[in-house]
Amino acid sequence: MEILYTIPYQLLEVPNLKVKWPSWFRQPSAMTVYAMVLLSYFLVTGGVIYDIITETPGYGSVTDERGTRTVAILPHRLNGQYVIEGLTSSFMFTMGGLGFIVLNQTHSPSTPKFNRLLLIAIGFLFVIVAFCSCWIFMRIKLPGYLHS
Amino acid sequence: MGMGGFGDPRPKRSHNADKHGLFSNASGWKSLITFTVLALAWISGFASRLFAVIRFESIIHEFDPWFNYRSTAYMVQHGFYNFLNWFDERAWYPLGRIVGGTVYPGLMITSGSIHYILHSLNIPVNIRDICVFLAPIFSGLTAISTYLLTKEIWSSGAGLFAACFIAIVPGYISRSVAGSYDNEGIAIFALQITYFLWVRSVKTGSIFWACLTALSYFYMVSAWGGYVFIINLIPLHVFVLLLMGRYSSRLFTSYTTFYIMGLIMSMQIPFVGFQPIRTSEHMAASGVFALMMAVSFLKYVQTILTKAEMRYFYMVAVVGAGSVVFFTVVLLTYAGVIAPWSGRFYSLWDTGYAKIHIPIIASVSEHQPTTWFSFFFDLHILVTTFPVGLWYCIKSINDERVFIVLYAVSAVYFAGVMVRLMLTLTPVVCVLSGIAFSHLLGLYLKEEESPSSQDSDSEDDGSSDKSSRNLYDKAGKLRRMRHEQMKESDGLGSNVRGIVVMAMLMMLMMFAVHCTWVTGNAYSSPSIVLASYGQDGSRQILDDFREAYYWLSQNTHSDARVMSWWDYGYQIAGMANRTTLVDNNTWNNSHIALVGKAMSSNESEAYKIMTSLDVDYVLVIFGGVIGYSGDDINKFLWMVRIAEGEHPKDIRESDYFTERGEFRVDSEGTPTLLNCLMYKLSYYRFGEFRMDYRSTPGFDRTRNVVIGNKNFDLTYLEEAYTTEHWLVRIYRVKKPDEFNRPRIPLSERKIKRSKIFITKKTNKRRKGTIKNKPTVVKGRKPTKTA
Repeated sequence: MEILYTIPYQLLEVPNLKVKWPSWFRQPSAMTVYAMVLLSYFLVTGGVIYDIITETPGYGSVTDERGTRTVAILPHRLNGQYVIEGLTSSFMFTMGGLGFIVLNQTHSPSTPKFNRLLLIAIGFLFVIVAFCSCWIFMRIKLPGYLHS
Repeated sequence: MGMGGFGDPRPKRSHNADKHGLFSNASGWKSLITFTVLALAWISGFASRLFAVIRFESIIHEFDPWFNYRSTAYMVQHGFYNFLNWFDERAWYPLGRIVGGTVYPGLMITSGSIHYILHSLNIPVNIRDICVFLAPIFSGLTAISTYLLTKEIWSSGAGLFAACFIAIVPGYISRSVAGSYDNEGIAIFALQITYFLWVRSVKTGSIFWACLTALSYFYMVSAWGGYVFIINLIPLHVFVLLLMGRYSSRLFTSYTTFYIMGLIMSMQIPFVGFQPIRTSEHMAASGVFALMMAVSFLKYVQTILTKAEMRYFYMVAVVGAGSVVFFTVVLLTYAGVIAPWSGRFYSLWDTGYAKIHIPIIASVSEHQPTTWFSFFFDLHILVTTFPVGLWYCIKSINDERVFIVLYAVSAVYFAGVMVRLMLTLTPVVCVLSGIAFSHLLGLYLKEEESPSSQDSDSEDDGSSDKSSRNLYDKAGKLRRMRHEQMKESDGLGSNVRGIVVMAMLMMLMMFAVHCTWVTGNAYSSPSIVLASYGQDGSRQILDDFREAYYWLSQNTHSDARVMSWWDYGYQIAGMANRTTLVDNNTWNNSHIALVGKAMSSNESEAYKIMTSLDVDYVLVIFGGVIGYSGDDINKFLWMVRIAEGEHPKDIRESDYFTERGEFRVDSEGTPTLLNCLMYKLSYYRFGEFRMDYRSTPGFDRTRNVVIGNKNFDLTYLEEAYTTEHWLVRIYRVKKPDEFNRPRIPLSERKIKRSKIFITKKTNKRRKGTIKNKPTVVKGRKPTKTA
């Protein structure tokens, strides 16, 4: 057995060096991974890939009787969007998710009762705001949403 | 309908809370509740997919399902082996198509065997009805397999939530409504059950479960091309586990068994053939297999050698094995043994690739990248709870949760690249949202009355951990400790809990309402039959497609060849039973480009192509009268692009744009556009058409313009049939002796009578003449005797 694995070293001289992992290279902690995943989730649900491929404008403008104004949401087109609109709504998605997570954190034993109530309120607010604004975006995008 | 789904997630919770205190036989209640919830999920999922059948009729939808239906009917009629050897000469004229070797036969076999079983039980069901209802029935099976998967990963409570979510979530319903008889309908079930079996086999490390994984993988391979997702995700899972230092003999057993059996079985599908050992898409799996072998060998050697010896050995082995695998793959790829990534997969990584190189892939709307709207439309509230479930999984990680995290991350990316792959994202979103909701409601529903029943969810967790044979999940223990600390601190008031729970339930209800609305309004249109609604809410059915196809089947010769854009190939073959040139199986780009060239050239050029392809009829879809936006003029630029890809000298996309780069059919449109075949066939006689007395003639309602070229005639084609709402127009291609012959009134016709003998004898010339008298030239031999 010993002969087998020493064969290469009959020919080669092992250099005397120590290979160390660079200090920044170690298994990332769970929360680092999660933060990265959440960031990519934020980008993907915002349709960033769509923005890059179709080179869509950041925001649009409409002309009506009061002159030209900018619009953030491209109405009526379900498979099209402006950059700003996608990022806003994916921000809402992420905010809703964070709200749910905050709602869970309230059960951490070390927080005093008042802080817990505060956390519940914040999480609750996040979820509700995210939900309602998504709903409003849907109504702008698709005027007959949940009605016709 | 669908109402069952609204109530599903909630009763279960309250029962769960009951079960500890009131009923002694907890496990009996638990299984009864599980059974009831899953049955309700199945029923509501089935019912909410029936919108199309109730509003219209039991009909096959869209495009691809028509081919699947046609080949299923062929298989049922002629037997399985004739189906495998089927050469379809009615498609891709004049090339034909080897159907048996170019389909995933799982769908046909599934519905064919259901048909066979029912008929052997003397239950006569038409194969069409089986095809229509196959996807809704399989949605129930998907719900059950999702339950099983979530149960393995988290708890049975989360599993029930996930099952209820997947039963009604629009992202999955979009591909599985009644009548949408497509591979995806059964493939999502196969996907989920394969993942469940994989997780189970990693947990147990038994060969039995690994074999079952391979078997269900085999079913998946036979059903859908998306099996590549499995054969890359499972190796990725193994690889990441190895990186995390979570190697175990369980992992070794399950992966090696699965890989070898799955490999051999997947090669039995004729369409897949030798791809699993020859293409780059499958190389990751074999690479991980080799790595697995190397790692396990090292582990074995580690038990023999001393530590110092091991250090030498380790370096040699790792460097050697790594470079051997890598160089083998590179060499084989260069030698041509391993095919490089196919364009379809390549476009998933380099997202701009398809747009530049493969217009035929980019032209399909479901291959477009996804906007935020689709995410919210298809997933609704789940899009926000998905990261929450992911958070729990990452926070308390173990072997199988690594799997679900990888599944989630990769599926999110793919769903962002292609709208169509939303379908693979949906199941994992349901799983993770199930975890999130179950955990959250577990926290907020628990009562402070008895400390022992606190947090039923983590109780579930603990018990399931105990019951499984391997206690490698250390995260559970830690959590237990934290909860024990928590008992001492006082909880929140029941009012706050009540509000939060009520809000959650409201949201779930909104989710159910959204799902039903989306299913009814967006995903239940057969697209063969269109419905339009008047201002008074009356409904008008536009049945033009079937009208046209029926006309074709009744009024044309059985061998007639119909040219249309490829979208309608399967429908023409399925409903009209006529030969088509190109269809939705877009395997031959140059053939499609030829049709595209014919459509975008002028009439005489197109006629040359059409005669060379023996075309008898041309079929175009025209939506200008009713304002149907999916018509051929709107798809026309893709025809031009695809034709330009193959014939860059003859067709140039820029010729079809105005100077300002616009594509318009009104008077400002370019002459090339206004004289091409597609324009002429769409707008022939449209210049005389007016909707009512106030509107201008020739007003196109889809593009909201008055067309630019109103008065023209067709030379080489003639109108054969136009349906009621002008949606489908069929033209007959004239034979070469039929055109360019202006009609002359009978009186002015001069008839050349060559055959009739006219005597030249007049009164004066009485001498006789000989017909065909040979002329004699002196000094020359007569060449021919007449």
